[in-house]
Amino acid sequence: MDMSESDRHGEEGPLTGHELKDIKDAADLYQSGSFKLQIDALLPNVRPKESARQQLDRFLLSLRNHILSLPSIIPQNPLTAAQTLAKQGVAVPFVHPLPSRDDKWKVAFEPPMEINIVGSWGNGIAVKKKNGGRFGVDLSVEMPYSLFQEKDYLDGRFFHKKSYYLAVLAQSISTSFDVDTFYASPLGDPRLTTLVIRPRKGSTSHDFSKSHADIYIIPILPSPNPLPPAKLSPSHSNVRIPSVLPSPSPIYNNAVLLSTYPKLALLSTHELKNSSPAFHDAHTLLRVWANQRGYGDGELCVKGFEGKGSFWTGLLRLLVSGEEPVATKSGNAKLRRPLGKGLSSYQLFKAALDFLAKQKFDETPAFTKAIDGHKYPLEEYIAHHPAVFVDRTSTINFLSDVPLTSLDLISHDAKETLEQLNNPGTSDDVFAECFLKSERGLFTRFDAVVGVDLPQATQNQSALAVVEHGSPDAALLASVASILRRGLGDRTKAIAILQPGTPFRPISSAQSPSTSTIHIGLIYDPAHAFRLVDHGPSAENQDSSVAEEFRHLWGNRAELRRFKDGRIAESVVWEVATSDERAHIPVSIIRHLLQLHFGISAEHVRTLQTPFDSMLRLPDDVRRLHRAAGGYKAAVTAFDDIVRNLKALDEQLPLALLNVSPISEYLRYTSTFAPLPVSASTLMALPESLRFLPTIPIILEFEKSSKWPDDLKAIQKVKLAFFESIARSLMVSKPGLKASVAIGDSSTPFQGLATLEIFAAEGWAFSASIWHDREATLLDRIIGSSKTLAPSDQEHSVREQREAKAARELYTRTFIHSPRHHRAIANLCHKYSAYSGTVRLVKRWLAVHWLLRSHVSEEAIEIICARPFVGGKQTSTEDAATVPHSKERGFALVIEFLGDWKWEEPLFIPLYEDNTPAPAPEIVAVSAKQGVWTLSTAEDRTGRMWTSYGPDHVSAHRLRALAKEAIKIIQDAETDSDIKRLFSHSTDDYDVVIELNSAVLPRYYQNVNANSSVWSRDSHSGVVESTPRPGFDPLPLFLADLQSTFADTLKFFADPFGGDRIGAIWLPDLKAPRPFRALAGFSSKPLPKEDKAKDKELVMLNRQSIIDDIERLGSGLIKNIVTR
Amino acid sequence: MPVLPKSLSGFTVIPIAYSHSTHYIYARAHVTSKSKASKPANVLPEARTLFIVNVPPDATERELALLFKHCGTVERVLFDFNSADNTLVENSPDSDEEMGEDADAEEADTGTDTEARPRKKRKIYTSEPTPPEVISLPNQSLRILHKTGSCAHLIFLDASSLAKALSPSASSKPLPWPSSEEPRGLSHYLAKYDAERPPLDTIRAHADSYMERFEFDLAKSKQEAKYRKGEAVVDEDGFTLVTRGGAYGQTLGGGVGVASKKFMLTGKTGSRKRKEKKQEKETFYAFQKAEKQRKAILDLKRNFEADKQRVEKLKESRRFKPY
Repeated sequence: MDMSESDRHGEEGPLTGHELKDIKDAADLYQSGSFKLQIDALLPNVRPKESARQQLDRFLLSLRNHILSLPSIIPQNPLTAAQTLAKQGVAVPFVHPLPSRDDKWKVAFEPPMEINIVGSWGNGIAVKKKNGGRFGVDLSVEMPYSLFQEKDYLDGRFFHKKSYYLAVLAQSISTSFDVDTFYASPLGDPRLTTLVIRPRKGSTSHDFSKSHADIYIIPILPSPNPLPPAKLSPSHSNVRIPSVLPSPSPIYNNAVLLSTYPKLALLSTHELKNSSPAFHDAHTLLRVWANQRGYGDGELCVKGFEGKGSFWTGLLRLLVSGEEPVATKSGNAKLRRPLGKGLSSYQLFKAALDFLAKQKFDETPAFTKAIDGHKYPLEEYIAHHPAVFVDRTSTINFLSDVPLTSLDLISHDAKETLEQLNNPGTSDDVFAECFLKSERGLFTRFDAVVGVDLPQATQNQSALAVVEHGSPDAALLASVASILRRGLGDRTKAIAILQPGTPFRPISSAQSPSTSTIHIGLIYDPAHAFRLVDHGPSAENQDSSVAEEFRHLWGNRAELRRFKDGRIAESVVWEVATSDERAHIPVSIIRHLLQLHFGISAEHVRTLQTPFDSMLRLPDDVRRLHRAAGGYKAAVTAFDDIVRNLKALDEQLPLALLNVSPISEYLRYTSTFAPLPVSASTLMALPESLRFLPTIPIILEFEKSSKWPDDLKAIQKVKLAFFESIARSLMVSKPGLKASVAIGDSSTPFQGLATLEIFAAEGWAFSASIWHDREATLLDRIIGSSKTLAPSDQEHSVREQREAKAARELYTRTFIHSPRHHRAIANLCHKYSAYSGTVRLVKRWLAVHWLLRSHVSEEAIEIICARPFVGGKQTSTEDAATVPHSKERGFALVIEFLGDWKWEEPLFIPLYEDNTPAPAPEIVAVSAKQGVWTLSTAEDRTGRMWTSYGPDHVSAHRLRALAKEAIKIIQDAETDSDIKRLFSHSTDDYDVVIELNSAVLPRYYQNVNANSSVWSRDSHSGVVESTPRPGFDPLPLFLADLQSTFADTLKFFADPFGGDRIGAIWLPDLKAPRPFRALAGFSSKPLPKEDKAKDKELVMLNRQSIIDDIERLGSGLIKNIVTR
Repeated sequence: MPVLPKSLSGFTVIPIAYSHSTHYIYARAHVTSKSKASKPANVLPEARTLFIVNVPPDATERELALLFKHCGTVERVLFDFNSADNTLVENSPDSDEEMGEDADAEEADTGTDTEARPRKKRKIYTSEPTPPEVISLPNQSLRILHKTGSCAHLIFLDASSLAKALSPSASSKPLPWPSSEEPRGLSHYLAKYDAERPPLDTIRAHADSYMERFEFDLAKSKQEAKYRKGEAVVDEDGFTLVTRGGAYGQTLGGGVGVASKKFMLTGKTGSRKRKEKKQEKETFYAFQKAEKQRKAILDLKRNFEADKQRVEKLKESRRFKPY
């Protein structure tokens, strides 16, 4: 090995200086060498292929010649002209306000003065779109000067003329070329309508489909501008509507100016591309990043970013050119210095993210340093646009029609990516997170998702607003965005308004179809999101405009209240009864505001929080029958009571009780169902299927003493004696409390399975074990004995060693790891408000799919669920952008992870807070029968503590497939029934389904589809008993018996939470007949001999008799067995 | 339906009628293998032991006895005898009388295993004072499940029964599977739950008596041993025996306790850490420095190449097509 390596080096010789520089650069200028290589691998895949250009260029040339040679059309009334075109099947996409017969001005057509390829294609920086979207080739067509008059800037006259021009082109192109033509209005804004030319597959002369591109024809204003630029400043009012006072129309003005922009942008970008070598790559990275997050076209676009390609070049332009100084409200903002031109693409990309993360466009406007000063006073922009980002040519404000909510979101996304990039030491693949993974999943991205049916809104937008925003929908959404942003305030870090990208429409339709459903995604700020009271202005300034605004915003919910500190103030109080309801406050606010301001009633504002909540709640009539208010707090209090009672017994015990450690999910907020006490009397009155009462395991630790015997078996007996005396004393000191000693299944003498069961009067059941550390030493001695002991001392046989090993494992798990795990998980629950809910939902999901407990341990799931919260970082806080703040999002993230996780590789989770750097987890060879997951933590480096028994290969694969299916359902979920589907299990895959008699299952009430008739029908169908049996649940016992009895024949699955069916699959290796063996280990039947010559006597698996065996084993439990 | 073979590799096939199907038990006369020939013969008397394969998983001794009742009286049944390891074989002659009554209830009875050895000792030291009796925990007869397809040894009282059981005529018609009174299914689990929670008095009696017995045995073994606690053991040559310490530093058997287990295994003492030897300076000589730099550069290159290969591999898996 050494030899060959040194040989290789010898051949290579020393590195050349050039090579060395490349490698060093990759490490210094990029995240890491491999990051650079991955970037290099990514870039060619998202750019147009050079080879396909020829076809396109040929078509563009003929298109250009065609357009230039078009005949003129004489000026005529716009409606007359439109009628002529309509006869030919082409509509004119007029804008608001629509032209009328009486209009004096006329529309006309003359061939353009100039045609150019502009935009990203023109600059050669095009980036592939999401979901197989085509490249866009922008073709600017310069309308002749003579078509326009000076007053055309008024009342949309320019847009009407432009629309007519476009319609004429559409008519002519659609008839002369063998191509498909459409209108496209990005953002649903008719003023931005362009003509789209798409190749027709198989067309002989005009097929340019190889280039995978659409051509967008954009009519632009000639230069010099026929419309007076001074009239188009942000403060000018260019829309006149009868009987309405004129007010500035900044968005309208911006849209007019946009028609002068393409050519200027082409030149500006060209200059940038030449001066900054990394610009092209950085731009590509930025666009890929943005596309993955919905800032662009596609199904769910972030409102305002559709068709905003120039924003991204403008952004990099700003970084390279620097900012124009501007006086803002908060004084002179500190200017960013222009970035050096020698930056690498990655550095430039990161700088762009940094800018997006930090820039608050609403407070600090961004003005790119202009070549010769800005055309309009900067203050005008600030006064009339909510968000300002003016480009280098000082033509347009990129953000005139982008709501502030979208800017909050982009800033949040940038922060999240920066967090990931700045913590590269994680096992997670940062590159994939940043560029390769689609972050468009609603439920994995947002803490709450609200679907709103927009057509339900009352259209009370003013005519002025409609003209200003271009369409009624745009006006409505702008208003929704600003009201929600005010209403939710600091409860959310970002509100995303997502709408489907505007589809292309045929050239026969003038109007862009209106938006039907939008999704509102919320990202909570955990510190404020669930606040119960919104404070308004105090009573003193009742009449001020602030108070007026507050009352207008909240309507009848606003009320004057006196607070504890004596203040009297306007406020809104959100009443909640349960913690579930508290988690719904932000959504209730949205419901209230949409109803109040837009008349959208609650049923048209949909969320999926309630169906998720119901997965973790018992049916109402069960709760009524149990007659108890449980909850984690109550359980912890009950635990503290027990500890106090035990400590009070000090006098009566031979050793002092040092410590009582909880090791139960019920005491660390992660059990699927909140713990519930049921007192003995209530319990006996309940029907059998409601009787399950969990016992909560705890560990008692006594002071060290030399009185313990030095023998394992004797230690167990001493423990029994301890339990007995504690039980007696407890029952004396606390009347009503019942204590008994469960000796446990003691076929293995070394394991201390005996526990003390305490059934408190209030109805809490605990089971206590005693931790004695000497046991470990004694067990180790037996395990290690074979090596050192002489053969004569064969006292510890092979069997004893095996038992000792099992006992040692159990000891380590129960007494060493369980308490630590418990503390770590309890800490997480306190630190991250959504963690507990996430674990509970994931456990429920796994249980419903018959995998929890018997295949996946609850502790393993608790560790995996910590991943979205602690990620790969040691010091993350609740505030980090990647941390989910609602259980639904946490659930979606965990399920997504379970679907993607390659468990062949170990996973490290920084569950414990220590500062030692994470070492690579050791990889342990795993056999097929054992668990295949490796979940490494700081306390358990090998990562097998909770996964050594499962899931094995079969169930791990099953789990992955189920998770993949589930994440699809989650992402498309629209209604409650989708969530129900998520939590329903198909039994088609099972060879055998054992149906149980639900009336005798004490846990049946937890079943996800629990049928209340089971417990209301007959109260005591089964055995009538007088003593309660806390913790009794026959299902897991039966399942365990089946699993051990038929371990090599069948594999069993069942829902531990009230499941009333057990599924089983035949193991595949027993399918074929086999030669008879005495110790085959399966139930067989002889095969009839067909061929006497065969000397092998074959037997087959005797399936039916095994089914009969199972039926006999489960008599009283089994209702029916279905085989396939 | 084609006729099934009556015998298979020397085993007689005994069909058993289940409710919906037929179960097959394979039976053969027990033959002691040569390697085990040295073992006491009375464990499995060759002439009257039937070896049966594919016993139903919930079969009890009583049920098997009932099944072969037509052949004769069954003395006892040993389940999973072959898979059990040596200990059981060695112990079984001593625990003879127990096995009969406790085989079913082994799981419920903690005492079974622990009692086996004390009794052995009792037999050896009959002249000594009688040890205190261990009061066992109550055991209720509960079924013990065996793995499916497991085997059992059936010992008949009479050798003639064996031949009867193996004669083909006996298996002409499927026998119905008999049932004993031990509960099954739900009632089994209920009974088990209750059996595992015996009254407190019983537990106290059991624990106390066990500890008494433990003390007694401990005292006796100390007495037996030639070493006394705290006394140095000097042999005839004048050497002092040095032994390893017991719990909490006490030497149980006597002798002078010094060496820990750890010492015996690793040759290292306690937790005292010895100071690490001072390392040689790595960049003391110019050649070391140069060598180090050269190595760093080569490492850099190697890592870069490795990264490159990794990315190539990822490329092949079409990973870099983001959408």
